[in-house]
Amino acid sequence: MRSRQKELLELLDKSGADLYALLTKLTLREDIAEELMQELFIKLNNSTGSGKVANWNAYARRSAINLAFDWRRAQKQKVLPLEQVSEPASNDDSPLGKLVHSEEMQQTLDAIGRLKKSSREVLVMRYLQQESYDNIAKQLGKTSHQVRALSSRAIRNLRGVLSNEHKPSKKEIRNVANK
Amino acid sequence: MSQINENEIHDRLKRLSQVEPGQEATNRAMQKTRDALIASEGRRVGLTPPSLIGRVMKLAAAAVLMIGAGFIGGRLSAPEPLDVQELQAILESSLKSSLEPAIRRQLQDEFDNHLQLTLSAEHNMLKQELARQVHRDVETYTEQILKEVSFLTDQRLMNFARMLEAARIKERRHIAAAFDYMGSRLGDGLVTLATRTDNLLDAERTDQMSDVSEN
Repeated sequence: MRSRQKELLELLDKSGADLYALLTKLTLREDIAEELMQELFIKLNNSTGSGKVANWNAYARRSAINLAFDWRRAQKQKVLPLEQVSEPASNDDSPLGKLVHSEEMQQTLDAIGRLKKSSREVLVMRYLQQESYDNIAKQLGKTSHQVRALSSRAIRNLRGVLSNEHKPSKKEIRNVANK
Repeated sequence: MSQINENEIHDRLKRLSQVEPGQEATNRAMQKTRDALIASEGRRVGLTPPSLIGRVMKLAAAAVLMIGAGFIGGRLSAPEPLDVQELQAILESSLKSSLEPAIRRQLQDEFDNHLQLTLSAEHNMLKQELARQVHRDVETYTEQILKEVSFLTDQRLMNFARMLEAARIKERRHIAAAFDYMGSRLGDGLVTLATRTDNLLDAERTDQMSDVSEN
């Protein structure tokens, strides 16, 4: 067995559940999170430039965040015919099922996906994974102070993006007026 | 412009942070990831088998070196030089006897390993394909049921609307008949009243005339 694969299997045992939970939070779909988790580990296994990775856990976490938001962007661009729209994998009674149906959650995640990469990572680590500023700073190779500033700016930007989404477009106003 | 305040954003983020997958789903995802990782490594081994060649080459090189050393030692200690053909035959038999079982064993191990990995990968792919197929079937079935239910609901709503309309028309007819009846009764009453009033007035007029004639 290669040392890379051994390392990845150890990472899977140690942080697999956390990574899967993170992917589920970002996709709001357990089935998609499962697929992305497999894709993530296969990519990590096949990647050639990651020989110098010091902290596999942090690297995998950041890759998972990017992978999940790539998926969200692809979903937004893809217009699915009705028959291809699948139902979420979770039960409707579960807290996850309730959240899946909440448009607000999807809207918030889409807005986070539109932020800069660094802001997005800090926001996800701080508010979705409830990690400390010091821990985030270690993972991103920044100081705790920089992470605090980045987090505060990310919240401001997120508010801006969400507020713009709420504002009706001129076209929408014209359509309503014509009716 | 509609503004979202920071409290609402924090509230949404908090709700997102509370999203957790089930334990069963987590275990399943981890197992599938482990299988996929092993299967991908198996495919990599299947595509590039340099390890087997490398090991056999090392073994062969070691055997040649040992035989060479033996030959040089023998040559130095032997009183007469050996025949080249005899030496070739000795080398051949020695190489064959030392390398053949090792190569056979190595090949067998590698083949077993490769077969096992390929089977594991195939099994995993088959499982995934089956899951996808079941998912597709369930989706198709659900869609058909939804169409049927929608059609039946539309039909029942139309029937209900027709019944409602018929009941309304019937009710209107009843009301119109009642009004007609009331109208005719009122007309009769008025005619009777007029007749009686006229009779009374006639009687009064007759009485007055008789009083005047008496006076």
